[in-house]
Amino acid sequence: MDRNQLVKWLEAPAKMSHKYSLHAVYFCTGCGIIEVPPVITARWDAERFGVLPTATPRHANLFLITGYVSVKTLRAIIRTYEQMPEPKYSVGFGSCPINGGMYWDSYNTIKHLDRYLPIDGWIAGCMPRPEAIFVAVTHLWTLIEKDMADGYKRYRRDYAQYRANQERVLGELEWPPLFAAGEDV
Amino acid sequence: MKILWFVISPLAALVVGIIFLGLSRRFMARIQWRYGPPLYQPLIDIMRYFTQKSVSHGAIFDLGVVLSLAGSLVVVLFLPFGGICPLRGSGGLLVILYMMLLAPLGMALAGGEAANPNSSIGISRKFALALGYEVPLLLIVLAVMTRYDSISICEIVAAQRAGLPGIATFPLVLSGFAYLLIMPAVLGLRPFEVVQAPQEISSGPLAELGGRYLALAQIQHALAMFIGISLFVNLMWGGASNPFVFFLKMLVVLAFGLTVNAAFPRLRIEQALRYLWRWPTLIAFVGLVLVVVIGR
Repeated sequence: MDRNQLVKWLEAPAKMSHKYSLHAVYFCTGCGIIEVPPVITARWDAERFGVLPTATPRHANLFLITGYVSVKTLRAIIRTYEQMPEPKYSVGFGSCPINGGMYWDSYNTIKHLDRYLPIDGWIAGCMPRPEAIFVAVTHLWTLIEKDMADGYKRYRRDYAQYRANQERVLGELEWPPLFAAGEDV
Repeated sequence: MKILWFVISPLAALVVGIIFLGLSRRFMARIQWRYGPPLYQPLIDIMRYFTQKSVSHGAIFDLGVVLSLAGSLVVVLFLPFGGICPLRGSGGLLVILYMMLLAPLGMALAGGEAANPNSSIGISRKFALALGYEVPLLLIVLAVMTRYDSISICEIVAAQRAGLPGIATFPLVLSGFAYLLIMPAVLGLRPFEVVQAPQEISSGPLAELGGRYLALAQIQHALAMFIGISLFVNLMWGGASNPFVFFLKMLVVLAFGLTVNAAFPRLRIEQALRYLWRWPTLIAFVGLVLVVVIGR
């Protein structure tokens, strides 16, 4: 952790502040949310690293989708993601958002979350331990450092594709497109 | 030379307020047996908010956030900070009481323009709570003004420093106790944390603020914390001769507020009003009557 290195702060203050102030929206789908309270309270204390839960997506820059995504919650997930201010990072937690997990055969859950939203990283496992969230945060730091956590840029670039995928599952969406067609990054 | 103090005084308040924000997160963490974030974590957060893309909800939204910050900065100019008091000769306590309402008013304008139901609930709670603690606060301030026969806060501080601090003299001890009872409500700490209540109405008036707006709101929150504590130290604890001693006195009051914050759960708004209009108001009223009858 390079939070105490003043030189890095002077070189890239914006990047460093995005690294060490990850305020998270936990989208409480499925069983993954069970692992989050120990992380943010006294047992593991994520606030040491600047990771803090927030109540509203406008304050957040980290989006944790903890568990399976049913078609109904996908709508809310998309709206929440689109309300977060850029730059924003999203992490899928558990095996269900990665490839459907144990809900592979379900008629009502989506299997690959990254077809509908850009995901910067995955935490595999069913269930991942709370420590896995810390591992994910340290990986996310590395990605931010190297400008590789560019999910929000991909969302702008490939918005037409993402929107088409969303409409294929959800039918007609009741909100207008977030970015006009052909808008550059 | 005098104009320089108009710049230094708000900056000092800002630095102290942000230190208070960091300290309060650290203090709460230690009470809960956690390590807690570093002291400069609020600074990191504010830097992040400033560098994020922000969404505006209209002109009133922008102006409301600026109004609340400006209102807090103006109040700071009237409050003596150790020896520093830029607006020494002006209206004093009466102006402070008026100006203290500008900050919630600005937040209400911004939250109303954002048209989020959670913001509206938060705003109505904020004004109900302000109604709750302004009544005892007015009685306390009246008692202090009657006791020292002055409306200038600088003269009140000077009078206390010539003798004993206000809270150590007989009739005013009641007013000081009443102020301690309403202190968490003035600071928005936990038994009265009904306005933001993240678990309940998702940050209330701040729910739609993102990016730069949230940064300004956070700075305003730091200033509000400074103002609430500084008013107590000036009115009741005799201020201080230099800013450092003043800062130490403020730290003691902050520690008291945070201990209450850690120990109590959140009240409902009508429970909060019932409490605020019963015991603190009663004690402050008795204090005022005693000051008028025997105190002077």
